[in-house]
Amino acid sequence: MDRNSIEKRLNDQKDLLSNLVKKAKTNGIDQVEIYSSYGYSEDVSLEKNDLNNCTANEENMFGIRVIHEGNQGFIISNHIPSLYQSIEEAYSLAKSQSTPDLDLVLPEPESIQNHFNQYDDSLDSMGIEDLVASAKEALGWRNDLYSKVNIDSGDFSLSKGYKLIVSSKGVMAHELGAELSASVMGMGVDGDLVGSFDYDSASGFDKTQFQTLWKKAFMNFGDKCMGALYAKPISGFQGKVLLPPEAVYSFFLGLFIGSLNGTSLRKGKSKMAGKLGEKVASPLLSIWDDPTNDRFMGSTGFDREGLPTSKKSVLTEGVLETYFYNTYEAKKAGLPKSNGCATGGAQSLPGCGPKQLQIAPGKSSKDEFLKLPGKTLFVNRISGTKDGASGDFSGVIKGGYLLENGEKIPVREVQIVGNAFDALNQIEAISKEGELLGESSFVPYMLLDGFTITGVTEE
Amino acid sequence: MRNLLRECLAEESGFVELRYHHKESRSFFAERGRVESTALRKRTGVGVRVLEAGTWGFASTSDISKSSIQNAIQVAKKAARLSSALRKEKIPNLPKANFAIGDFIGKGIEDFRNRTVEEKLKLVLDIQNAAAKQSAKLQSVGCGYSEIYEEKAIVTTDGADSFFSMVRPEFRVSAVAKEDGKMESGSHSIGVTGGWDCLFRSQSPTEISDEACKTAVDLLSSSLPDGGLSTVILSPSIVGLLVHEAIGHTVEADFVLSGSVAQGKIGHRVGSDLVTLCDSGYSEYYEGAGGSIPVDDEGVIPTNTVIIKNGILSSYLHNRETAERFGVAPTGSARAWEYGDVPLIRMRNTFLMPGNSSLEEMIANTKDGYYLDGAKNGQADATGEFMFAVQKAYRIQNGKITDLLKGVTVSGLAFDVLQNVDMVSKEFKWDLGSGHCGKGQPAKVDAGGPYVRTKVLLGGK
Repeated sequence: MDRNSIEKRLNDQKDLLSNLVKKAKTNGIDQVEIYSSYGYSEDVSLEKNDLNNCTANEENMFGIRVIHEGNQGFIISNHIPSLYQSIEEAYSLAKSQSTPDLDLVLPEPESIQNHFNQYDDSLDSMGIEDLVASAKEALGWRNDLYSKVNIDSGDFSLSKGYKLIVSSKGVMAHELGAELSASVMGMGVDGDLVGSFDYDSASGFDKTQFQTLWKKAFMNFGDKCMGALYAKPISGFQGKVLLPPEAVYSFFLGLFIGSLNGTSLRKGKSKMAGKLGEKVASPLLSIWDDPTNDRFMGSTGFDREGLPTSKKSVLTEGVLETYFYNTYEAKKAGLPKSNGCATGGAQSLPGCGPKQLQIAPGKSSKDEFLKLPGKTLFVNRISGTKDGASGDFSGVIKGGYLLENGEKIPVREVQIVGNAFDALNQIEAISKEGELLGESSFVPYMLLDGFTITGVTEE
Repeated sequence: MRNLLRECLAEESGFVELRYHHKESRSFFAERGRVESTALRKRTGVGVRVLEAGTWGFASTSDISKSSIQNAIQVAKKAARLSSALRKEKIPNLPKANFAIGDFIGKGIEDFRNRTVEEKLKLVLDIQNAAAKQSAKLQSVGCGYSEIYEEKAIVTTDGADSFFSMVRPEFRVSAVAKEDGKMESGSHSIGVTGGWDCLFRSQSPTEISDEACKTAVDLLSSSLPDGGLSTVILSPSIVGLLVHEAIGHTVEADFVLSGSVAQGKIGHRVGSDLVTLCDSGYSEYYEGAGGSIPVDDEGVIPTNTVIIKNGILSSYLHNRETAERFGVAPTGSARAWEYGDVPLIRMRNTFLMPGNSSLEEMIANTKDGYYLDGAKNGQADATGEFMFAVQKAYRIQNGKITDLLKGVTVSGLAFDVLQNVDMVSKEFKWDLGSGHCGKGQPAKVDAGGPYVRTKVLLGGK
């Protein structure tokens, strides 16, 4: 599968979907939207320090949304010959409902300014052989440098495809994409000693970018597994936690970002309701969303509704500046139109959220954090739970360290409890250094104070 | 479909496995007085797996035609040949298995077909409307009904030849309560393999809704428990999470081969005498367990696998490949989420066998501890360290339940927790059927058991 064949398929499908939408309108179905997601991928998987499987998959999924007098039906299908029947089924689902909301309409089209080309033609000369070579190289790194690290599973993938949206309101947008990606999961094992699971991943637009990022990610994975191997229990304490970028993003900030979702706000489930323009976090924290930077993986010129994306400030020195809306939620909030933040793909209805969050770096050096006096818990990863409404989170620390008097002691059986909204004001310092998570979101290290840390040993 | 798959294999000589999978998922959700979403997801295709030159090759196609399936077989073979040079440990062959042959039609499918969209929409809307009126503190109540209907046909060149189907409905209510700027949420859900009657056999939709709303409102006046190692009585839903997360994952043979904490422990004591743990493709003790499967995704009839017998580790969970490596019979534990997924070793219905105590006796015999109820989520590690999250923790003091506290998370080392089990109840319940287990791909599972008393690390203040 190469660029030419994907482009031909895309062009044929634009015609097919446009005709289906026209046919639907002719038959009295006024509001229909079809989101198409096509992907072809070749994968090589690892298991137990060995090659496991080679696979090739191709699929085209369609998300069909029909709105009829304020009611909505949604069908997801991968069967092209029956797409028109699926439109009729979605229409039937919409008609079967009795709770209309006339704010529920498909958006009017808008001009898209940013046109992305995230398909590097050099990937067309690659195939499974190259993925097998990458797998061989990674197994060599494991054997030569990390013989005590067991690779439980790993995956190398070359994927290509497109997304396309067509609607009866005149929305028509598409983008091609291709990438190389890899991930690895495993743990350190030394005799009877077993360390915590850890993982890392990388992706790139082309082979050179991918290879550089993947090698770095693999070494990071190996170091994390080895670091967790000789962990021991500690006693609990109240105090500071140091969060690396992954932990900042996945656990602590995720709850806050979720509370800015237009749907949560409308339903009264967000603690950030009515806080626009107010200080809700430490002045050290500034965040923006930028899906328009073509150096990032996954950047895009249009959202799930085919409307243009844009750069927007979320939090400036602790002051809340925006919420995230799709067309429906914007209408419910009394706004003239959405702010291009409809999320999702063919397999989901449009949600609301950011695409490429960026967190402003701070002024501290992360190395300073490692040498702080007293006790600091380095939270590599939290295996736990979080509650979107209250903001409460709790979990077990995985691959973490107790930083004490310049020493770095790997720990196990340690729990942390906190609240994401309180934590926004518990930030003591933010590092200059950070990581580009998923090659798309810049996130620095953060030092926070005032946490309850539970351990199993007595003082 | 079996005929078409057999035709595609007619001229194949090596090992080829064809798995046709059609899946329809319907979901209906109501909140704030209106139907928020109705969705139907249909996905159909064939997954092709070959064993050639000592390694696996896999390809999938959504085009259910003979030519497309045969093309996928060739793609999978090419993939296997390309990878063979790198694979160190070749797979010599696959063991004989108790293959499923014939048609296996699940219970409840007629019921699912006979109920209209309008009936399901009315259910979620009525329950949501009634629930929202229960308390002025309720900020929002959401009610969802969903069902997954699946049919599969699995034909292999070495003897599997079956068609099977099943339906899995779920019902869930989630509530958010607010007071003085404080917000709390509560949720309750059930899921089964079977029809609507099976779904609402132990609790009506209204009772499920009441429980979710009451949890959200009650938690507004709760605080955190004291953190630390604590004696706890676990409800069947929490026992389900415990045995699934803490033990089940560590005995999946692929994890064992990667070095999980269960490696080399067959025949060793890993729990108290009161602990007998099983994983079954059937619905033991009570009809409708959510992870039931008539046939696994390698075409093997699933067994009831006794993992721990009276505290002694006795079996891992196997697919055909790991069964060959360990010299045992496959347990029928190979499962794939979609046609484009390669089957992995997965749990089905994991349960602790009931004991002789009653819940009342267990509470009365606990001087200082917690009763934990309401499963949320959980994860396990290769080390055997696990965590699971609970909604509610009730303080037990001098044999009596006192205050409601926030549940937060519970953790421990799997085998330590089992060694510390000192009371197991007579009562038994499946209580994890509305969830999914994640391991690279989702899987519908269930888990449960009796009430159990043990010691765990409780997160808290």
